[in-house]
Amino acid sequence: MSLALRGASFRWPDGKLALSEAEIELRGGRVIALLGPNGAGKSTLLGLASGRLAPSSGSAELEGKPLRAWDAAARARNVALLPQFERLPFNYSVRDFVLLGRAPHVGLLALPSALDEAKAAEAIEELGLEALADRGVTELSGGELQLVRIARCLAQEALYLLLDEPTSMLDPAHARSVAEAMRGLAASGRGLLFSTHDPALALFAADEALLLRNGRTVARGPVSTIVSPAALSEAFGVAFAQRPLPSAY
Amino acid sequence: MLAFVLYLLVGRYPKPGFTNPLSFFEDPLALRILLSVRLPRAVGAVLLGAVLGGAGAAFQTVFGNPLVEPGFLGVSQGAALGAALAMVLGAADPNLVALSAFVAALAALRLSLVLAARFRFGGQVLRLVLAGIAVSAFCAAALSFVKYAADPLSQLPDITFWTMGGLSAMGWNRLAAAAPIAIISLISLFALRWRATILSLDDEASRALGARPEFERGAIIVAATAGVAAMTAVSGIVSWVGLVVPHLARVTAGPDGRSSIPASMAVGALFVLACDAISRTALPGELPLGIPTALLGAAAFVALLASRRTGIPR
Repeated sequence: MSLALRGASFRWPDGKLALSEAEIELRGGRVIALLGPNGAGKSTLLGLASGRLAPSSGSAELEGKPLRAWDAAARARNVALLPQFERLPFNYSVRDFVLLGRAPHVGLLALPSALDEAKAAEAIEELGLEALADRGVTELSGGELQLVRIARCLAQEALYLLLDEPTSMLDPAHARSVAEAMRGLAASGRGLLFSTHDPALALFAADEALLLRNGRTVARGPVSTIVSPAALSEAFGVAFAQRPLPSAY
Repeated sequence: MLAFVLYLLVGRYPKPGFTNPLSFFEDPLALRILLSVRLPRAVGAVLLGAVLGGAGAAFQTVFGNPLVEPGFLGVSQGAALGAALAMVLGAADPNLVALSAFVAALAALRLSLVLAARFRFGGQVLRLVLAGIAVSAFCAAALSFVKYAADPLSQLPDITFWTMGGLSAMGWNRLAAAAPIAIISLISLFALRWRATILSLDDEASRALGARPEFERGAIIVAATAGVAAMTAVSGIVSWVGLVVPHLARVTAGPDGRSSIPASMAVGALFVLACDAISRTALPGELPLGIPTALLGAAAFVALLASRRTGIPR
């Protein structure tokens, strides 16, 4: 039982190689961090792992079956993806917004049922957002909105959660609360794969890490061994030094 | 319901203003006016308003944009062009004019969808908006040419009145032609109302929720537009309803399609019923319906935007 990329490469139609032979095996209860500079292929990897993109070579499989062979709704019941950015078209209430996570469980012509409402309420509760439930999503702070968007992923009841730079726009306090929420989700049995530029977040939240540069894997393994000055310097192209710094993690 | 009954009682026969309900029993002509003139017209106003309001709300939701209205994919201008062409080519039968308007509206929609699929620029929403602008402009230009070529004494006034909208020619037979399409459109939009909310998210987000945004958005657009084209064909262009009614509905019903789409249908029906009552009673002659809808619609729009209760992010 896993979400796995095996030797997965992705080439854009213009021939540019965005990701080369990536290996990922995500299981319930585990957290994997994707580390690397802009353009390293992190979002491409999440695209492959969510089934949005098809690998040019290699495979991307959910429970042993190619992701692209899954029906879109069935796939979304197993894999939830949180895009990095999202435009909010209307001022939906937090409750209605999180309920949208039930979409893969509700038929095309149907409305969410009382059970769906209950599942959405559960997701809101799991992240401690009850106080925000009746607020409008456009009135939230960046950190609150991020937690609400993660709650929407939880409402999907997917075992695997893919988060694209979940803390990149947040101040340290909000980033910390999102990171803690991520640890909590792993403790409750879910498998998380997230991309980040922040080695400290990776160290705090992840068990394993994959370090990418120009689409290639620089290092892969337990996070404590991957997040080393030498490997980070190689991936990010700037010298990293080991020194104690104030950190929210 | 109350508005519907009031509408039936307002008119210029037997005397201007309210008709005493008892007079329908005493005066056979009053009864005939009620049953074959006011009643189909009232039903037509309700359907027209419901379709414009519901389609407007569905469009604004699936485009994630509160400034689109149901005619913008070339449908309104296409219908006007179709109607004008039929008039200039000598179609005496108003049903033929309506048919021509309906066919041209659907052709304009089809052209917009084809163009949007051909554009190599932006996402689906932007491509549809751009295609709609192009097709509307093309139809407007062609309409101007038809007007220029029309007989200024007989045909030009007819064309002009048609583009201002009106339900004065609405009878049971016209209603019977347009109502089935309008009702199917309303039922489809009602059934897809939560789906529309999902599609209001970015395509990447809705796709991650298992939706197929391009296909589903296309289906909702076709369902909405078919109803708008059918009702526009028999009523002419009634402006502002599809734009402003969803804003009014969202103030009380909230932005979620589950409530805002049915509420927009109800508010649209009421709004057009009220405006048509004004149309037919305000002056001794008939005031084109597009005038009170635009006047009241624009006023409501301004009041709403100034009150900050729109449910639209600032």
